[in-house]
Amino acid sequence: MASYLARRTGYMVLILGISSVVIFYALRSAPGGPSGGGVLSPLSSQEVRQAYEKRLGLDQPIYTQYFIYLGHIATGDLGTSLVNGTPITELLKVHARNSLILGLSALLLSYLIAIPLGVLAAVKRNTWVDQLAMGGAILGMGIPNFWLALILVYFFSLRLGLLPSAGCCDPPQLIMPALVLAAEGTAVTMRMTRSSMLEHLRDDFVRALRAKGLPEWQVIIRHVLRNALIPVISLTGLRLGWLVGYALIVETIFRWPGVGYLLVDSIIRRDYPVAQFFSLLLILFVLLANWFADIAYGLANPRIRVA
Amino acid sequence: MSADVALEVKGLRTTLFLREGRVDVVRNVSFQLNDGETLALVGESGCGKTLTALSVIRLLPDPPARITAGSVVLDGSDITGVPESTMRSLRGDTVSMVFQEPLTSLDPVFTIGDQIEEAITAHRKVNRREARDMAVEILKEVQIPSPRQRLDDYPHQMSGGMRQRVMIAMALVLDPKVLIADEPTTALDVTIQAQILELIRAEQERRQLAVLLITHNLAVVSQVADRVAVMYAGEIVEEAPASEIFANPRHPYTQGLLSSIPSAAGDSKHLYTIPGRVPDPRVLPPACLFAPRCPYVISRCWHDHPGLEASNGHLLRCWNPQPFIALKAVEPEVDRSVATSE
Ligand SMILES: Nc1ncnc2c1ncn2[C@@H]1O[C@H](COP(=O)(O)OP(=O)(O)O)[C@@H](O)[C@H]1O
Ligand SMILES: [Mg+2]
Repeated sequence: MASYLARRTGYMVLILGISSVVIFYALRSAPGGPSGGGVLSPLSSQEVRQAYEKRLGLDQPIYTQYFIYLGHIATGDLGTSLVNGTPITELLKVHARNSLILGLSALLLSYLIAIPLGVLAAVKRNTWVDQLAMGGAILGMGIPNFWLALILVYFFSLRLGLLPSAGCCDPPQLIMPALVLAAEGTAVTMRMTRSSMLEHLRDDFVRALRAKGLPEWQVIIRHVLRNALIPVISLTGLRLGWLVGYALIVETIFRWPGVGYLLVDSIIRRDYPVAQFFSLLLILFVLLANWFADIAYGLANPRIRVA
Repeated sequence: MSADVALEVKGLRTTLFLREGRVDVVRNVSFQLNDGETLALVGESGCGKTLTALSVIRLLPDPPARITAGSVVLDGSDITGVPESTMRSLRGDTVSMVFQEPLTSLDPVFTIGDQIEEAITAHRKVNRREARDMAVEILKEVQIPSPRQRLDDYPHQMSGGMRQRVMIAMALVLDPKVLIADEPTTALDVTIQAQILELIRAEQERRQLAVLLITHNLAVVSQVADRVAVMYAGEIVEEAPASEIFANPRHPYTQGLLSSIPSAAGDSKHLYTIPGRVPDPRVLPPACLFAPRCPYVISRCWHDHPGLEASNGHLLRCWNPQPFIALKAVEPEVDRSVATSE
């Protein structure tokens, strides 16, 4: 176990290191540079611009900048935004909280929909219930999420006036972004729950449980579902990864001030310190999510736990 | 006299509803099982033994299988048409079943203790601690060492033999009237097989259980059965006390099964096997179902379907019964010539 943890941690550090280099170079080799928000106007002269970049150390070779940056990070100095001078620790507090609210809502929503429907579809296999659920799943997987977002905004905001089309952070403003963020994962989880349920409904132990006189719901929910959820749980890590990717799009469309929104915005504005910190943060998050999913998988599956 | 009938099956017919049509895989099966008695249901695999058992406790895979005729009387009450809720309250309490696959018949993600307790609480209003104590008691009774510790084990931590003991413990924990054991030893090592059979026999005696022991292996039966019903292609073809079946088998199929037991033939290298195979229930022979494989077949066997008649203390379904002479394997001439030429 200890060696497993060490290996896993080493692997995470390695990935973070490589990604940080890639991100650092990619950002700086993109055309354009930081405009300093209001500090520099697009019309400012070459001299002013160079002086500004010199002050930020952007005239140094990229690898020198990289090691200076590492030094700052190591001493706990995350830096400030080039756009408005806000400390990154401040940005982190606000935006991470907003993203967590949105992400957890989406995850919860999708499991609350996907698992019951997946179970129902499996138990009522080949009936209209099953066909409806699976039809929905195909839609959920087929519709790109920006398109789904536009459709929802069109109906619920523009036509019906029921929900605000964007903004933060009241519950009504959360509904549509959470739905869009949840859509594909819900569809995938539902199909996986269904097929995993069907597989375990055929297990020998199901007949043996019925032979003990257990009520059918107990056979299905307590036993078959519990077995069927093992692969679903192991999918969670992967799903969190997708969630991070989709959050960039969804938060931007709905102007939900989360980490994704901030990241897209900071890349567009070439706000290097913000962009590089938050992209690394998201990578770290995905790595940790996979790690937790592995642990959860082990807990759910006693055959692995002991081995 | 009829007060001690634990299980009576009359005229059972079980039908598979398949795409190509209806197939009766269990036909007109009747038997009676008394308290404290072991009835063995014997036949090659594919004869319909499992479907007969599943019909009794109504756990047929539906689709495709359904009971289409007959009645079942369990512990004095007719359960033929009773609703599923009644059947559920009987399963595990009045009638229990142990299956062939001890390796996969336990839920891998729950502990042994959880699974036994759950069988108890499905039928009895007891608290967790009482259920645990009952579980420990029954594990002790089926000779599982240090039972209290074993409660927290997962199935994969136990051997096949131990798991089958757990299955038997679970089946017996509520002291049922009837135990159905479907090939309980088939998946186990020979030495373990004998232990499990001995356990079933001991429990049967201690609890005055009525045991329906299903097996394809007549050798298993000699240890434990009081009576034997031989099943062939969905029908019972002979039924008699176990001693009679072994000393004086009358049906050619029973004789064939006996001849193919290694110890009876003496020479395990040239073991007798009944020629041919159990017919596909979709394409049965026209009259006697055993005729195509029978050494004593006569023309009547191709025209009239024999009924199950009482004769000399046997129930027998045969037009041309012959005295038993252990059937011998045909000498493998070809093999020998190959061997000498080398
Ligand atoms: N679920 C099923 N679907 C189709 N055919 C089945 C099914 N279960 C059993 N059968 C068929 O029914 C016949 C009897 O099966 P079974 O009762 O399991 O035999 P046994 O237990 O004597 O080996 C066999 O021909 C088998 O192929
Ligand atoms: Mg069978």
